[in-house]
Amino acid sequence: MAPSLRTLALLTRKELRDAWRNRWFLLYGTAFTVLALGLSWLGVTGVARTGFAGAGRTAGSLVNLVILVVPLMGITLGAQAIAADRERGSLLYLLAQPIDTLEVVLAKFLGLTAAVTAALLVGFGVTGMVMAGKGGFEQAAPFLGFLGFAVLLGAASVGLGLLISALSARASMAAGVALFVWLGLLLLGDLGLMGTALTMKLEIRHLLAAALVNPLQVFKLGALLVLRGGLEALGPAGLFAARTWGEQLVPLLASILAAWTLATVGGTAWVMQRKGGLE
Amino acid sequence: MIRALPLLALLLAAAPAAAREWVVSPDGPLRTPQEALARAADGDLVRVLAGTYAAPLAVTRSVTLQGEGWPVLDGGGRGTVVRIEAPGVTLRGFVVRGSGISLDEEHSGVSVEGPRAVIEGNRLQDVLFGVYLRHAAASVVRGNQIRGKTLALGRRGDAIRVWNSDGTTIAGNRVHGSRDVVLWYSKRLTVRDNHVEQGRYGLHFMYCDDATIQGNLLADNSVGAFLMYSRRLRLVGNTIAGNHGPSGYGVGLKDMDEPRVADNLFVGNRVAAFLDSTPREWHGSATLEGNLFAGNDIGIRLMPSVRRVDILGNSFVENHEQVELAGGGGDPGANLWRGNYWSDYAGYDADGDGLGDVPYRSQRLFESLLARRPELRLFAYSPAAQAVDFAAQAFPLVRPQPKLEDAAPRMRPHVPAGAPTLPPARGGAAPGLAAAAVLVTAALLALPAHRTRRRRQGSPACAPGHPPPELLRIRSLPRGSAMTEHPLIEVRSLSKSFGRRTALADVSFTVHRGQAVALWGANGAGKTTALRALLGVMPCDGEVAVGGFDVRRQGKQARRLLGFVPQEIAFPEMTAGEALELFARLHRAPLDRIAELVASLGLEGELEAAVHGLSGGRKQRLALAVALLADPPVLLLDEATANLDVAARRDFLELLLELKAAGKTIVFSSHRPEEVLALADRVVHLEGGRLQPERPPRELLADELQPDLAPPPGRTAAAARAAAPPTPLPAAPGGRLALHHLAKETRHGS
Repeated sequence: MAPSLRTLALLTRKELRDAWRNRWFLLYGTAFTVLALGLSWLGVTGVARTGFAGAGRTAGSLVNLVILVVPLMGITLGAQAIAADRERGSLLYLLAQPIDTLEVVLAKFLGLTAAVTAALLVGFGVTGMVMAGKGGFEQAAPFLGFLGFAVLLGAASVGLGLLISALSARASMAAGVALFVWLGLLLLGDLGLMGTALTMKLEIRHLLAAALVNPLQVFKLGALLVLRGGLEALGPAGLFAARTWGEQLVPLLASILAAWTLATVGGTAWVMQRKGGLE
Repeated sequence: MIRALPLLALLLAAAPAAAREWVVSPDGPLRTPQEALARAADGDLVRVLAGTYAAPLAVTRSVTLQGEGWPVLDGGGRGTVVRIEAPGVTLRGFVVRGSGISLDEEHSGVSVEGPRAVIEGNRLQDVLFGVYLRHAAASVVRGNQIRGKTLALGRRGDAIRVWNSDGTTIAGNRVHGSRDVVLWYSKRLTVRDNHVEQGRYGLHFMYCDDATIQGNLLADNSVGAFLMYSRRLRLVGNTIAGNHGPSGYGVGLKDMDEPRVADNLFVGNRVAAFLDSTPREWHGSATLEGNLFAGNDIGIRLMPSVRRVDILGNSFVENHEQVELAGGGGDPGANLWRGNYWSDYAGYDADGDGLGDVPYRSQRLFESLLARRPELRLFAYSPAAQAVDFAAQAFPLVRPQPKLEDAAPRMRPHVPAGAPTLPPARGGAAPGLAAAAVLVTAALLALPAHRTRRRRQGSPACAPGHPPPELLRIRSLPRGSAMTEHPLIEVRSLSKSFGRRTALADVSFTVHRGQAVALWGANGAGKTTALRALLGVMPCDGEVAVGGFDVRRQGKQARRLLGFVPQEIAFPEMTAGEALELFARLHRAPLDRIAELVASLGLEGELEAAVHGLSGGRKQRLALAVALLADPPVLLLDEATANLDVAARRDFLELLLELKAAGKTIVFSSHRPEEVLALADRVVHLEGGRLQPERPPRELLADELQPDLAPPPGRTAAAARAAAPPTPLPAAPGGRLALHHLAKETRHGS
C-alpha cells in the first residue's frame, strides 16, 4: 500500500521534533557550527600573521569538517532511531497504530534528514554570512552546491544509520556498529584502498571506481568540484574523473549519493518488513 | 645682413615642415580617420572626436592618432581593426572593437609592424587578438584595457602578443578574459603593473633574455606566468593568485638560466612555483628569495632535474603540500634551502635570533607516497591522509627520508611589500543573500518542532474545564466488515518461531464482540507474541483477522479497530499532550476527543508533563486515552498493569471494567489471577506456545488462588492443595469481588 502523505507528514514532524530535543543532536549541531565558523574565519582572515590564506585551504578545511561530522551525525542518529525505539517499546507502540512499516521508516528518514539538514543550514548559513561579510566568497552557486552535496551526504548517512539500526538487536549494538562503520568509511576504507593501490599498482580508473564506492569520497569529489571548479587538486585521478565525465560529473556524483540513500532506506524498509521491526 | 638672407632662406627650405593637426569628426569636414591619414604627413597629429568610425584603418605615416571623447573604431567583426605599418606611431584614447575571429589570419584589435609605436590608453573590446607587435622594437603598450571575445578558451586570441620586438615595455594594462599574454624572441622587455585575469597564460615568455617582470597581478588564470628558455629574467614584486587548472601554476620556470624570483606573493594557486630543468646550464643558477607562498595546493614543485637553486628567505604558509619533489626520491641536498619560514615547523628559537634552533625537515609520509604514486593524491583532503602522516610520526620506522632540510628556518613569516594587493571580492550581495536564504530555510525546518506544541496549547480541545464527556462510546462497525456475522477476532493455526524457539504453535481461537478474553500462561508461554500477531506487527504463519481484515495484508484497516495499551508507554521526547495530539491526528480523531478523554481519565494537569516523568498509573491512563482516541471496538492490553502499584492497578482495572460494561471487546494478557477473574469472560491458556483446552476462568485459576504457595518438604503442590481447606474465589460475573480483593490489599498496605 502506498504511504499516506498525511501520516508521513505527522510522523516526520514528530521525528524532527524528537531530534531537536535530542542532546546528542544538539551537541553535534553546535560543534559543527562552531567549527565551521572558526575554520571559515581563519580562512578569510588569513593565518600566521600573513593575512593570506587560499580559498583552497578554506574549502579543504570545510570539506574535511563535513566528512568528519556529518556522517557521524547521520549514522549515529539513524542507528539509534529504530533500535532504541524498539528497545523501549515505542516502535511497537507506533506500529500498533494504523501505520505501515514503510511509513515509519520513511518518516524516520525524512525527519532525521531534515534535522541534519537544518543543522547544516544553520552551520553554513552563519558561516556563509561571515564569509560574505568578509569577502571570503564571491559567488553563491559554489557555496550552495557545496551545501547541496553536504545535505546529500547527510541523507546517505542517515539511511546507512537506519539500516544498521534495523539490523541490530539492541541499541548499544547499533551504536557500536555505527561507530565502526563511520570509522571504516572515514579511515579504514581509504587506508585499505591506498595500500591496495600501492601494492597492486591499480590503474587510475580502477582506483577511482573503488574510491567512489565510499560516499565520503563521493562527497569530497563533488564538494571540491563545485567549490573549486575542478579536481586538479586531487591529482591524476581527479583529472581523469573531470575529463572522463566532464559536465556530467556533478550529476553523477550527486546520483551516487542519492543511490546510497535509496539503497539504504530501501534496505531498511525491506528488513523491517521482513522482521516485522520488532525482533 | 643682406648677405645672410640667402643662408636663412636655405635653412628654412631645408627644415621639415611644421607638424599639422587634423581633426576628424562625424560632422566633418574630415569625417573619417582614413581621410585624415590620406592628407597627413609624418609627425602630424590626427585628433579624432567622439563618434563611431568604420575600420579597418591602416596607418602608414608616423602620426599620432589621438582619440577625444572615446571615438570608436569598429571593425564590424571582419579582419584586423587598426594596422600600424609606419614607425613611431602613437594610438591613444580609442575604443577599438569588433575584429574578425580567424586565428590563422590573427585578426587583431591593433596590429603593429613598425618600431617605436606607442599604444596607450585605449579600450579594446570584442577583439580576437588585442595588441599584436611584430618587429616593433622599443614600442610601448601602456594603460590599455583589453577584453577578448566571448569564445571557448582555445578559440580565443592573445590579449597582447610581442614578437621579435626588443626593448618593448608593457605596462599598466588591464587584461580580462583573453587567452594569453605572449612575449617571444624579444630581449630587454619590461612588463610591469599589468593586471591579467581569467585567461590561460597570464604571461608566457620564450627566448626573452634580460626581461623584468614587476608589480603585475596575475590572477585566476590557468597559469600565472610561464617562463621558458630565457636568461637573467627577473620576476619581482608580483602578486600571483588563484591560478588553477590541469597545469595550474603560479609561475613555471623551464630551462631558465639565472632567473631571480623575488618578493612575490603566491596565494591560492594549485602549484605556486614549478621548476623544471632550471637552471639549464651546468654552471647556471637560479634564485627564489623573499617570496610568500600561502594557501596553495603545492608551494613549490621541483622536477628531479632541478639542482643548484637557492631558495632563501621565503615564507611557506599553510600550503597543502609545502614542497613536492616530483618523481620521488631525489637528492635533498641538490638545492639550498635556508632561512625560509615554514608554517608547519615545530622547532624553537632559544637564542632569540629569529631562526629556529633545529632544522626544518619535510618528511610527511603521505607526500612521500604521492611522489611514488601520484594518483594517491585522490585521498588528499581526507582524514586517511592525515592518519598516514600521524602513523609516520608515531612510528619512526615508517617515516620517510626528508625531501629537504632547512638548517636555519625563520620563526616568523615575511610578507613582501610592494606587490599589488589582491582584488576585493566581486560577488556583490548575492553570497550574503544566499547565506541568509540558507538560514531562513533552517528556521523553517526547525519550526515544526515548536509549532505543534504552540497550536495544542491554544486548542480549545485541551482547555481546562471542558465538560467530562461520555468515555465509553461504542463505534459502529466499518462498512463491509463482517463483524456482526463473524467473530470480531479470528486466529487460525497461528505459529511463530524465534530461531529454534517456538513461541506459538498452531494456535487458534476467536473473540466475539463484547467479550473480554484473557491470555494466560507462564512467562514465555506466548501471550505477548499472540498479542503482537493480533496487531499484525510481526510476520508469522497462520491467519489473523480483526473485523474481517487480515492483519498482514490489511494491517492498517485492522489496526483502526484496535486500541493498544502496552506494559508501559515510552515516548521520552514528548509531553503527554503532544502524544495525545499526535495519535489523535494519526487516527484522524477529532481533537475535541482529547479533552473528553483527559477529563474522563483524570489526566488534567498532566498535558505539559513529559511522558517519561509521569507515574506508572498516569502513563497507563495516558496509554488508555491514546487507545480510546479513535473509539475502537477492540482493546488489546499487554500486561498493562504489570508495573503498577496496587492502588493504581485497582483504578486501572475499574476503568477497564467500565469499558467492558460499555461493550468494548478486550483482549488482555496478565499474570494476575485476580485481574483475570475480575475482567475475563474467557481465558486463552497458553503453555509453551501451545493452546490448552479452554476452561472457565474460575476453574482454571482455582489453583492460582490457593494460599499455600510452597508445598511442605516431601509433598507435591497438588497434594498440598488437596489437603488445604478451600479458599473462596472472588465472585463472578463482573469481577466486583475481585476488585474488593484488590481494595483489601491496598488497605492492608500490601
